[in-house]
This record gives sequence, structure tokens and C-alpha cells, in this order.
Amino acid sequence: MEAASAAQGALVHDEHHGPPPANRSSAVEPQMLGMLLFIISEVMVFGAFFAAYFFIRIVGGAEWPAQGTELPVAIAGVNTAILLSSSLTLHWALVSVRAGNRAGLKAGILLTTLLGATFLFIQINEYVHLGFAAQDHAQGTIFFGLTGLHGAHVLIGLVLLIMVTVRSFRGHFSEKSHWGLEVPGIYWHFVDVMWIIVYTTIYIL
Amino acid sequence: MAMKLRAPGWYRATAFVGLGVLFALGLTSAVRAASGLDPVIAGEAWLLVGLIAVPLFFLVGIGCFDYWFRWAAGKPTVPEDHSSHGAHSWRDYFRVNTDHKVIGIQYVVTSFFFLFIGGAVAMIMRAELAQPGTQIVDGQTFNGLFSVHAALLIFLFIIPVFAGLANYVIPLMIGAPDMAFPRLNALSFWMLPVAGTMMVASFLVGPFASGWTAYAPLSTTQPIGQMFFTIGVQFAGASSIATALNFLVTIITMRAPGLSFFRLPLLVWANFSTSLLVVIATPFIAASQFFVLLDYGLGFNFFSASRNGDVLMYQHVFWFYSHPAVYIMMLPGFGIVSEILAVKARKPIFGYRMMAFSLLAIVVLGFTVWAHHMFVSGMQDWIRVPMMVTTAIIAVPTGIKIFSWLATLWRGVLHIDTPMLFALGFLTMFTLGGISGVALAMLPFVIHVSDSYFIVAHIHYVLFGGSLFTVYAGVYYWFPKMTGRMYDETLGKVHFWVTFIMFNVTFAPMHLVGIEGMPRRVSDYPEQFASWNLAISVASIFLGLSTLIFVYNMVSSWVGGPKATANPWRALTLEWQVSSPPPIFNFDAVPTVVGGPYEYGVPGAVHGVFPDPDKDGADAAKQQPATTPSVAQ
Ligand SMILES: [Cu+2]
Repeated sequence: MEAASAAQGALVHDEHHGPPPANRSSAVEPQMLGMLLFIISEVMVFGAFFAAYFFIRIVGGAEWPAQGTELPVAIAGVNTAILLSSSLTLHWALVSVRAGNRAGLKAGILLTTLLGATFLFIQINEYVHLGFAAQDHAQGTIFFGLTGLHGAHVLIGLVLLIMVTVRSFRGHFSEKSHWGLEVPGIYWHFVDVMWIIVYTTIYIL
Repeated sequence: MAMKLRAPGWYRATAFVGLGVLFALGLTSAVRAASGLDPVIAGEAWLLVGLIAVPLFFLVGIGCFDYWFRWAAGKPTVPEDHSSHGAHSWRDYFRVNTDHKVIGIQYVVTSFFFLFIGGAVAMIMRAELAQPGTQIVDGQTFNGLFSVHAALLIFLFIIPVFAGLANYVIPLMIGAPDMAFPRLNALSFWMLPVAGTMMVASFLVGPFASGWTAYAPLSTTQPIGQMFFTIGVQFAGASSIATALNFLVTIITMRAPGLSFFRLPLLVWANFSTSLLVVIATPFIAASQFFVLLDYGLGFNFFSASRNGDVLMYQHVFWFYSHPAVYIMMLPGFGIVSEILAVKARKPIFGYRMMAFSLLAIVVLGFTVWAHHMFVSGMQDWIRVPMMVTTAIIAVPTGIKIFSWLATLWRGVLHIDTPMLFALGFLTMFTLGGISGVALAMLPFVIHVSDSYFIVAHIHYVLFGGSLFTVYAGVYYWFPKMTGRMYDETLGKVHFWVTFIMFNVTFAPMHLVGIEGMPRRVSDYPEQFASWNLAISVASIFLGLSTLIFVYNMVSSWVGGPKATANPWRALTLEWQVSSPPPIFNFDAVPTVVGGPYEYGVPGAVHGVFPDPDKDGADAAKQQPATTPSVAQ
């Protein structure tokens, strides 16, 4: 069986020459567009979990809140503030790198990572002291389901932020080239905005 | 040996699979010991975690992540690293490769492999159903057979085979050197064999047996084999989301100069629409399987009615994906047929813009009809009539397409060769399936035939007579481009006629036994249906054998068929303007598009213009390989 695609190409072309530059038919940065599409599908995952939430709470008409499921609204509120401030520090990092301020970039990205980790730590602490479990009833299930799904996204975001931090400290990124910061950054902002919706739905409504 | 274990490939993958097994054992045992569970080593927990961990370890081992790991660590990487580009021998098809042409062929061959397994499983089912009573397999095994059959053919054949054809053709059609994210493309492909192997491997522990729909709470109370579906679907779903995202970015940002959206071939439009559906809808099936996994593995209560869980919620979430999924399984086929009918009728496609708009209309309407799968589920009554109305309406854009294709054929100069035969076969069979589909939208009727063989007949007319015929049409049509060889036309025609006739003898009688009340998904049936079922089973054997003609034709032609010219169909679209098979980076210089893609029979019509290779511009493009915006900053 002949190698289908390359047999002829290899004869005609030098092995190490690259492709002709692709035409850019849109002003949108491909990586940014890819990330936005990924965020759309993430929004839909959350949409399905919210659907489950409202099915259990409203369509199913379960007792709400179930006995013994009082949530620490104030602590979670503080935690919300921590997560939101991490969006500000991330923006500061971006503004810094655009202005060529590497110290600001490093400080901003490091601070963002630490704030995100703090949020996750407080969240886990809340899980431990909550007093009810996902196995108790559907009300508990959907609480842990939604906040856990969000927590998993914070974790993914943190992994991305750590990569960006490592790269920042290794001297990557400059005034002209910072998509590697901006694209993971937009994901982090999405995680923050999603938390506002989760917090409002679960803790306040 | 140490070198081999360090380099990406099968040695390292095997080692990593072993590591994955140990990791799953360590993790479950540690968690169980920490929470005081006895025994510390539990086989099912180990298996469940292994089902998630081992595939990930395998993907790392085979080499899907090497570049990204280097990138994440801030090590120097070459953004235009094409070391894994192009195939030089058949072995290169078994490695991680970033060339969309190699990946396209990997996709198509892998999907067909699973088609044959799924088809063989169907043969066993028909053997059991040839007579009433129990002969070959018992009830639970039969449930496993139809579940694996449907799951493989939906998630491992129809959806990925279209992604494979599009992977090969779309960058060529739009004048791009590759997909926007070649490494993501490779990862998407490698998740497929993982998902398929998992589903087939469920036979080792007793196959999952709750159908491809896996309704809760049946799926949350089945033996462990069920998890091979629940987790396998996650990998197939992740693969299809990643590919869809890749297609959308490629189509939006990498079209050749002059190739506006309304000059795009309809195959590109079709995959654009499909990809939108995938990106928006597929997360819902992922979520539904997360719910099942959490209920099954960790004792969550999404679906335990006694603890306020909502059972019907599963069906709503599942069908909110799985109705759009029928269009994910259909729209790319619409695109293939549009290409072939225009080329083979030597006429411009009729109503080009309406064809494009009807695709978008289907994307939007596809999200408004999901509960028509739940008319007898006991959901709220008031949802029924709105869903009936929207379901009837969604037939309108599809009808527009059927009439446009017919008008394209009208007074054309028809070249009735194998791709054209399959395209025409699609047109007739899909119309029949569409008509029974509109009938099924009607509440009084669907309540009568729900869960009967009428449904089985309908879905096979749509997915076999519809989708599979377009897949065959597409494979025959692009075979010369993909392999550089011509297939055997006579064998192709024999393949079509055997398939077409035996398909109808197999599935048409199912309408009748269905209306008379034979239930689907049951291994036994009353005596009154015996003669029809025997006829169906006999025909299905010939239908199964007809694929052997196809396999023989494909393999022998690929090995020793006559060499194909660059453009054997005299087509205008860009993929036919380069050699067969195309050069490693598709185009020496990006072509410019100056007209529509289907101006057949229009004197002097041109679609794409290629720069003269002797001129300076093209040479300059050759010598500056890395001026594309870097992928990895
Ligand atoms: Cu449907």
C-alpha cells in the first residue's frame, strides 16, 4: 500500500520547507477564536448542569432548601470577592506586558495564580465543613455537582495560569507577542463570570 | 530500548498503559484506605478509574501531548514544526501525525473498521431474530448486542467518518495548507480508537445493555459493562468537539483570497453548520454521562427518585444533544451529495444560497424539537403539541434541499457512475426516511408505533439509506484524490446495486411488522411475525456481504489500481486542481478564487486561479516557510 499523501510530495519538495503561509481571511486571531468556541461549549456544559438544578428544584418540586443544607453565604461571598479580584490582577498583568513592564507581568500573573489557589482552598474547606453530602439527597447532589464542576474549571484555569507563570518567568511574552497570556486569560475571566452565576443561583436564589 | 521508551510511539504507549493501570490501582486503594473502606483493593473501583486514567496515559505515551508539554514548560519550541507531517510508508498511519491528509485517512479507515464490527454485531442479532424463541444468545446478551451496535455505528462510524472526509477535503477546498490547529487535530483522532476499543472491550465484562440512549436509572443500575459506554462516549464526544472547533476556526480564518462565504462549496457550508451543532450540543451528552457516572461511581442522586432525583431530566438533557446529533450525522452527507450531483450532472447547483440558508435553518430549528423523542415518556402534556409543530416545520428546510437537488438534476447531462449512483440512492432512500419521519412527528401516530420496528425502519432509512450512502458516495468520489489511484467502476456499481436492493428488502418490511406491533430491542417475538423476520434476516446477510465487495475494491485499487489523474471528474473545486494525491503542503502557493464553485456548463467559468510557479511571487512564498503567525507564543 503506498503512502497516500506524501509519496509524490516528497519527491517534488524539499523535506524541510514549510507550508506556504495561509491566507488570513478574518481579522480574528485563530487561537482567540478557538478559545471563544471552546468557552461556548463550556457554557453549554454548565447549561446542562443548571438544567439539572432547575429540574430537581422546580420541576421535581423537592423541598428547598433541604433540611440541614444551610449554606455559608457570607464566607462564599468573601471567596467570590477573592476570585473576582484575581480577574483584576490578571488584567493588570496584561496591561503591564503591553506596556513592556515585565515586573508588572510577573507580579500580576503570580498574584492571579495565588488568588485562584486561595479560592480553591476555601472552597474545599467549605466542602469539608458543610455537614451534608452529595449522597444524602438530590439537593446535595446538585450543590456538589454545580460547585464541583466550577471547581474543576478553576483547576483547569489554574493549570493554564501556572503554565503562563512559568513562561513569564522564563522570559516569554513581549509588547508585541502576548497571545499566550491573553488566550488563557480569557478562559480565566470566563471561569470568574461563571462563578457569579453559580454563586447567585446556589447561594442567593 | 531506553531510547524507544523515551520517544513517542507504541513502545512508550504500552509502558504508559501499564503505568495507567498502576496509577488507577494506587489512587483507588489510597482513597479507599483513607476513607476506611474494606477491602482496600476493589476490582470495580479500580476498573472504573482505570477506564478514565488508562486512555489518558495512552494518549500521553503515543505522543499527542509532547509538543504542548515542552511549550508549557517554557522550553524552546518551533511553532512551524512539521516533523510529524506527511506519510512516507504505511507505518506512518499508525503514528501521531499532524498532516490533515494523513489524519483524514486515519479517521476514515478507523471508522470503517468500527462499521464492520458494528455490522458483524448486527449479523448476530439478525441470526437470533431469524426465528421466534431463543437460539443463539440470551436476552441480556441480545440487549448488549443492539446497544454496542448502535453506539459503535453512531459514535465511532457516522460522526467520525464525516469528520474524516471533511478533514481531508476541507483545507484543500478552501486553499489552506492544513487545519488551523494540526496538533489538536491529531489528538482528536487518537481519542477515537480509544473510545471504540473501550466500547468493544465491554464484551470482556458483559456488554453495556441499555441501548445507545442509556436511559437512567437503568444505566445507573446495570453491571460495570455500562461504564464502558458512559466513559467511551466522553472520549468520542471530546474528539468531536475538538474537531468541530478546529473546522470552524479553519473555515473562518484560513480561506483563500476571494473565497467569500457565498463562494464556498456546499460541503464546507455543511461542515460549518455541523460544527456549530457539535460545539453547542455535544456538551449536553457529556453532561448527561457525567450525571450517570457520578450516580454510578460515587452514589450521587441525580436520578434516584426516592431521594428527589429527576429521572426524566436525563432524557431531556440527552435528547437536547441527540436530536441535533441526527443532523450532525446528516448535514455533512448533504454537503457530499451537493458536490457530487453538481459535478455529475454538469450543472450549477440549483438555489445555492437557499441550500446554504436551509443548513443554517436546520441548525437553529434542530434545538427546538428534542422532546419529540419523549412523547410516551410521561413528561408534561403541554410540551407535546409545540414539539409536534416544530418537528413538522424542520422538515421544510430539508425539503428545500431535496427539491434543489432534483432541480439540479433536471435536464442535466447525467454521468451515472458509482458516486452518482450512491448520491441518487441517497436521494430516494433519504426522502422515504424523511417521509416516515414526518409521519412520526404526528402525535396520534407516534403513540401507536413508539418503540416498535417502525422506528427501527425509520432510523435505518435515514442513517443507512441516508448517511451511509453519502459516505460511500464520498469515499468513491474522493478515492482518486486520497490514494492517487482509480477504483474499479464495475465492482463499484455491483456494490451499489447489491446494497441498494438488499437494503430495501431488509428494512422496508420493518415498517409493516412495526405497525402491526412488533416491539424493537427484544430478542423474541410472537409467531405471527416469523415469516417477515426470516426474510429480513436472509436479506441482511446479503447486505452484510455486499460490504466485502467494497472492501475488496478499496484495498485492491489502493494497492494496484490504475493511476488517477489530478481531476478525473472535471470538477471546479480547488482540491481537484492539485495533483492526486496532493503535495505535502497542498499548494505551492495559495490560489485566488474568482468565481462560484459550481459553474458547470457556463462558458469560460473559473473557480480558482493558481499563481504561475515560475514567477517570483510563488518562489518567495516557497522560501519563507515560517511567516504564518506563530502558533505558540
Ligand atoms: Cu429527534
